Amino acid sequence: MKFNASTMVLPLAALFVACFIAPLSVLMALSFASEQGAGDFTLKHYLVFFGDRFHLSILVDTLMLGVKATLVCLAFGFPIAWLCARAHARWQSVLIFLVILPILTSVVVRTFSWIVILGRQGVLNQIVLALGLSDEPLRLLFTQTGVIIVLAQVQMPLMVLPILTVLSKIDPNLGDASRALGAGEWRTLWRVTLPLSMPGILAGGILTYAACITAFVTQTLIGGARLIYMPLHIYQQAVGANNWPFAAAISVIFMVAVLVVVGLLNAYGRRFERYA
Amino acid sequence: MSHTTRMTRRELLAAAAGLGAAAWLPRIALAQAGTLVAATFPGTWNEAQRTILKPAFQKATGASVTQSIILGTDQVSRLVAAKGNAPPFDVAIFDSPQVLDAVKQGLISEFPVAKSVNYKDLLPPFQDKWGPKISMQVIGIAYNPKRVKTPPTKWSDLWDPKYKGRVGLTALNSQLGIAFLAELNRLRGGTVENFDPAFKALRELLPSVNAIGANLGAYATLWQQEQIDIAPYNFNFVQTLKGKGVPVEFVVPESGAAGWDTSLHIVANTTNAELALKYIDLAIDATVQAAMMEPPYDVIPTNRKVALAGAITQTLAKTPADLGKIRGFDWAKLNPQRGELIERFNREIRT
Amino acid sequence: MPRPRTAIDLEAWSLRLIFGLLAAVAMVFLVAPTLIVLVTSFTDSESLKFPPDGYSLRWYVALLDADQMQRAAWTSLVVAVWTTLICVVFGTLASIALARSRRPWIRACDVLFMSPLLLPALAFGFAALIYINQLGFRPSLSFLVLGHVIVCVPFVLRTTVAALSQLDPDLLDASRSLGASEFTTFRRVTLPLIAKGIAAGAFLAFMASFDNVPVSLFLADERTEVLPIHLWQQIESNLDVRTAAVSGVIVILTLALMVIAERVAGLTRQLR
Repeated sequence: MKFNASTMVLPLAALFVACFIAPLSVLMALSFASEQGAGDFTLKHYLVFFGDRFHLSILVDTLMLGVKATLVCLAFGFPIAWLCARAHARWQSVLIFLVILPILTSVVVRTFSWIVILGRQGVLNQIVLALGLSDEPLRLLFTQTGVIIVLAQVQMPLMVLPILTVLSKIDPNLGDASRALGAGEWRTLWRVTLPLSMPGILAGGILTYAACITAFVTQTLIGGARLIYMPLHIYQQAVGANNWPFAAAISVIFMVAVLVVVGLLNAYGRRFERYA
Repeated sequence: MSHTTRMTRRELLAAAAGLGAAAWLPRIALAQAGTLVAATFPGTWNEAQRTILKPAFQKATGASVTQSIILGTDQVSRLVAAKGNAPPFDVAIFDSPQVLDAVKQGLISEFPVAKSVNYKDLLPPFQDKWGPKISMQVIGIAYNPKRVKTPPTKWSDLWDPKYKGRVGLTALNSQLGIAFLAELNRLRGGTVENFDPAFKALRELLPSVNAIGANLGAYATLWQQEQIDIAPYNFNFVQTLKGKGVPVEFVVPESGAAGWDTSLHIVANTTNAELALKYIDLAIDATVQAAMMEPPYDVIPTNRKVALAGAITQTLAKTPADLGKIRGFDWAKLNPQRGELIERFNREIRT
Repeated sequence: MPRPRTAIDLEAWSLRLIFGLLAAVAMVFLVAPTLIVLVTSFTDSESLKFPPDGYSLRWYVALLDADQMQRAAWTSLVVAVWTTLICVVFGTLASIALARSRRPWIRACDVLFMSPLLLPALAFGFAALIYINQLGFRPSLSFLVLGHVIVCVPFVLRTTVAALSQLDPDLLDASRSLGASEFTTFRRVTLPLIAKGIAAGAFLAFMASFDNVPVSLFLADERTEVLPIHLWQQIESNLDVRTAAVSGVIVILTLALMVIAERVAGLTRQLR
């Protein structure tokens, strides 16, 4: 047997064709059927979805939720990565350990702990009331703000690690040169560090965004009954209403939406490749 | 260095082989003991059946049982999806409305009355050839006695401005939600064909609503965190929460108690029919039902040998005849509208 | 000249302060929930309050009786082990191809293998269920494992390809020039050098499979109950402090496994 690249990639490629591409094709085919088992071709599910403000608003809300949560992740994740990149090697290991600990703990466990924290009598409200920051307990559970907070915590490691990788690789001479030429720290950050770390920020952003909008457990446990996002919508239609063709159509629309956003972010990222 | 890596690799291979072999063990173990898979309802049902029915079953048959928490309508969906293949569970638990659907779609088998030890001890209204009724569920108004000083007396108290921002609701996927909507519809002059009065009342209520529980666990959390003070609720769930130290009380509204039956059924085409029969038989056994009637479960018994006692007699019924006075719903007409009602509800409540 | 220097120093400190503060808040934000659920699980009351009114191990003791939860945990373990094995074997082979070749169709395979990280896993899980159904099968443990392999193999690929890219090609040339065959070179030179990368990827794949919800939601049914779905069911149905106890066990086990992975494979270094 020839031990070259083509034969070595074949087993996994075959597995993906059988277990990934095939199911997705079947999903797409089903989305064009009027009913399960009917062999026809119809666009009615897609028309129902796009023609109804209810369904469309669920899609838009989900995509916007991803944007907001990703921005929060970036706002807090970049400082962590920045701190980590400047730390001594031993502290670096400790910090990375702490950063990936949440993501390796079960997502159900992590989201569940937030229910304890965000409730009316939860930890956060206890602190807020004790510090006198508000007279009434804050309503965070089952609100969009609550979902964004929890999503940010659950997915932040995905933002931190790629930025850390990129920050560690930036030539420190560049920063020194910038400072030698008279630029302050903030200016150096804005004009040197940030553009050079853009590939990492974008990679982190893409991973975080994709994870946030598909985060079924977090959206559903923290969002409650009044906030429906695409993953729950698919699940309700597939399992609750047993409407497989419609659920398949929603799934396809969702996948295409994610790919479009990721594609746009990727295209934007190519501008910065010349800095690499 | 090559010496250590060779050792490590050998160790790793040995470990992998060991784990792989171990992977087969549970399959062997399960095959020997025999496991029944029974559906159960969330909340009180799950807890009572886990602590009382499961040990009784294991003692009587030596087999273990996996109790999966699935709502009645979801059970119907899953059985319909699995038609033609072996069903995903052996014992189904249904509220009255789902029994109609299940019988119509051939999802359950007739209960072998002759083989059942305890069936004849059931009170007549609870005997059914498709599956014995194991209890009744009653809905009413729940309130937080710490924050609501005068107990509410009628459904329309929920709309009282003094409760603004403190009302709770539950989503329509559970029986509690649909029953509340149907009762609301009846009180506001609607008919089974016309639910507009109910939704009009719902729209008026929404500004007072603090939170809507997506599922019964979330609903219980809202009560425990004292985020809602007054809401429709199920008698048994309130008793169980009280037992956990949550401040909540149940009242039957002036318009009267409304409720439905809950029953167990043997799923069609199951390979565990014998075990399923034993499980259901134990659920209608007098000793088991008496134990389930104890606080904090307060499950209403259906076996005539069990005299009503405890919170049931204080709030709902003193004798079995009183149980018969609990008003039911016209499920035959409500069932077909369920999907539509759920969608309409979901649209109304979206923020 | 001296004045600009102090001005720049203040600026440097302001940046460090703000970033340091943000980072500190973010670290607390990241770690606190896990700690809180751990502490809450030691409560002796029936409800979930932090800080707990009293402490006890009663809920951990209650887990000893929770045979259904134990069965679910065991099923999750079995599935995770099989998933990891398959991911490591297929993934290592593929990684070598990906790291070595620049041919377009192999580049395309790279994108394909990584796509489960981006595509909604819930949609994939649902697609898998439809697929199995249309083939006339029922969900089973084997199908569940295959579904997990698809969503977990990207982790093995990432770390293994990274390890391969740091491999000095001169070492391989030296091995070959000394007369070793391709296979021998792979076995005695490549494999030992990338072992840590594979191990790190295997660890990540294992945790991802054990923790997986979106695929298990559709492919695991009542007879093949897995732990995350069981916990999910419990949270949706009851107010049960045992859920916090199980969470505590999972957190402690995860920590222990991470420490082992750090010692054996240098996990944090692989991810930098």
